[in-house]
Amino acid sequence: MNREIYMNIKGLTIKKIHHDLTKKEYSSRELTEAFFNHIKKEDAKIGAFLDLSENMAMRQAEEVDKNISAGKGPGVLGGVPMAIKDNILIEGLRCTAASKILKDYKAAYNATVINKLRLAGAIFLGKTNMDEFAMGSSTENSAFQVTHNPHDLERVPGGSSGGSAAAVASEMAIAALGSDTGGSIRQPAALCGTVGLKPTYGAVSRYGVMAMASSLDQIGPFTKTVEDAALLLKELSGQDPMDSTSASFKFGADLLSPNIEDIKKLKVGIPEEYFVEGLDKNIAAKMNEVVKDFEKLGIKTKKISLPHTKYALSCYYIIMPAEVSANLSRFDGIRYGTREKADNLIDLYKKNRESGFGAESKRRILLGTFVLSSGYYDAYYAKAQKARALIRKDFDEAFKEVDVILTPVTPTPAFKIGEKSDDPLAMYLSDIFTIPVNLAGVPAVSIPVKNNSGLPIGFQLIGKHFREADILGIGQFYEKLYN
Amino acid sequence: MAEINDKILKHLAELARIEIDPKNEARFLSDFKNILGHFEELANLDTSGVVPMTGGTSLKNITREDEFNEIKDQGKGVESFPESKDGYLKVPPVFE
Repeated sequence: MNREIYMNIKGLTIKKIHHDLTKKEYSSRELTEAFFNHIKKEDAKIGAFLDLSENMAMRQAEEVDKNISAGKGPGVLGGVPMAIKDNILIEGLRCTAASKILKDYKAAYNATVINKLRLAGAIFLGKTNMDEFAMGSSTENSAFQVTHNPHDLERVPGGSSGGSAAAVASEMAIAALGSDTGGSIRQPAALCGTVGLKPTYGAVSRYGVMAMASSLDQIGPFTKTVEDAALLLKELSGQDPMDSTSASFKFGADLLSPNIEDIKKLKVGIPEEYFVEGLDKNIAAKMNEVVKDFEKLGIKTKKISLPHTKYALSCYYIIMPAEVSANLSRFDGIRYGTREKADNLIDLYKKNRESGFGAESKRRILLGTFVLSSGYYDAYYAKAQKARALIRKDFDEAFKEVDVILTPVTPTPAFKIGEKSDDPLAMYLSDIFTIPVNLAGVPAVSIPVKNNSGLPIGFQLIGKHFREADILGIGQFYEKLYN
Repeated sequence: MAEINDKILKHLAELARIEIDPKNEARFLSDFKNILGHFEELANLDTSGVVPMTGGTSLKNITREDEFNEIKDQGKGVESFPESKDGYLKVPPVFE
């Protein structure tokens, strides 16, 4: 192993790797080896990966090197070492969603996003830890291991995509994929100090991601820079016949090459409902610094109101478990993984589900069954669907006045491991700023606050449907202020 | 809004095909009471005349052409199934 490459892993981005591979400064094989060497030292203390896929990665790297030698170039994501959340299928690799019920399940096909990344030349290093079936905000609900925040090993990385966030934050991957149902990309990105993007609902195919709440789930990237997030979104997005909710929309040139003159014309709204009691004072102060930085760029800000924000948490924790209870019914001991023996069919279901699911999964399945059951449906599920319509209308109204909305991502920085694991409601409250975005289906990105010395803090930019170019454009110019 | 008790909890567990370990029953009940208590705020929200949002998108549904499509790789689906015999999926008997 070339020592110099190992030393240089730290500053690498997708853009830099593309440049270096094209100039033949190192090979994809050397780079991939350097990453595995780093992972083998670093991950013993972080616990980000559930499985490494070294053989597959080395084969992929050789393909990229072959293409470069043949003069075809590395491809847009050629040689980019990536980590993949363990609820996204890669053919031939174990895929567990961090659940005991799938501990022996091997994926039979590739998710659409995996096919797209492969075609673009990305390298898959391994599968990352998460809260079981993406249910949690700390990655403590994994059936297999705890993941530690690289900035303070006693603290959580956030969740549910905590392994993906921690892998990128500790330089064990250049980028990673996660899924975001109520904040599962943006919250861990904020707590680990990486960029995390939840695209517009329908922008990225969900085929091959294990469904949690189908009307809320989206796949998105973790990266070190906003520019890399835009590059990945471009590759991941597009209509897919295998996902009927994927949209035919195509992003324009402004996604990758934002123009400062256009960005200056954007109006940014700051909703008063997001700056309430319970928001960490330091985070509130940092949000003011971000506003000042935006003003330096020539962007105007104004106060706005999203009046139904306070109902979002209740609305989400009714709709999401309802969909969870339906989606997780397929894990019955018949179709996937291992099958425990029982005397009759009903007992077989119960036995497999009792031993296979963790406490939070059971809690949400039961809660979902409750809100959908006869006698309670109207008071809970039907009411929540109406509340969801009002929350979406808040955004529609706000976006008549402004182009982008700025908020904090989380009420507090990373909390201690074990601090909230006994109190589900306290854990749910850590998602209050990210949940409304999924309910409305709009895109949002979490970007690390620069000029910050303590635990990482993120700010969230929310955009209009399919206007990722606005939020990532502002983000790219914000980052340039500190380059 | 509704009260939850151990009888309802047992019924839900039956519907969801989940067995609740008696050791954890009290814990599930108290968590549920807290969570459902939080939901009570929704009762104060006026939703009269609001059309419910029933999915993640307001895009119109489209259907594909009804074409014959031969699937050639069911082998992998069979391989990932817990039990199989001669290329067929093996499941426990439904009727005794």
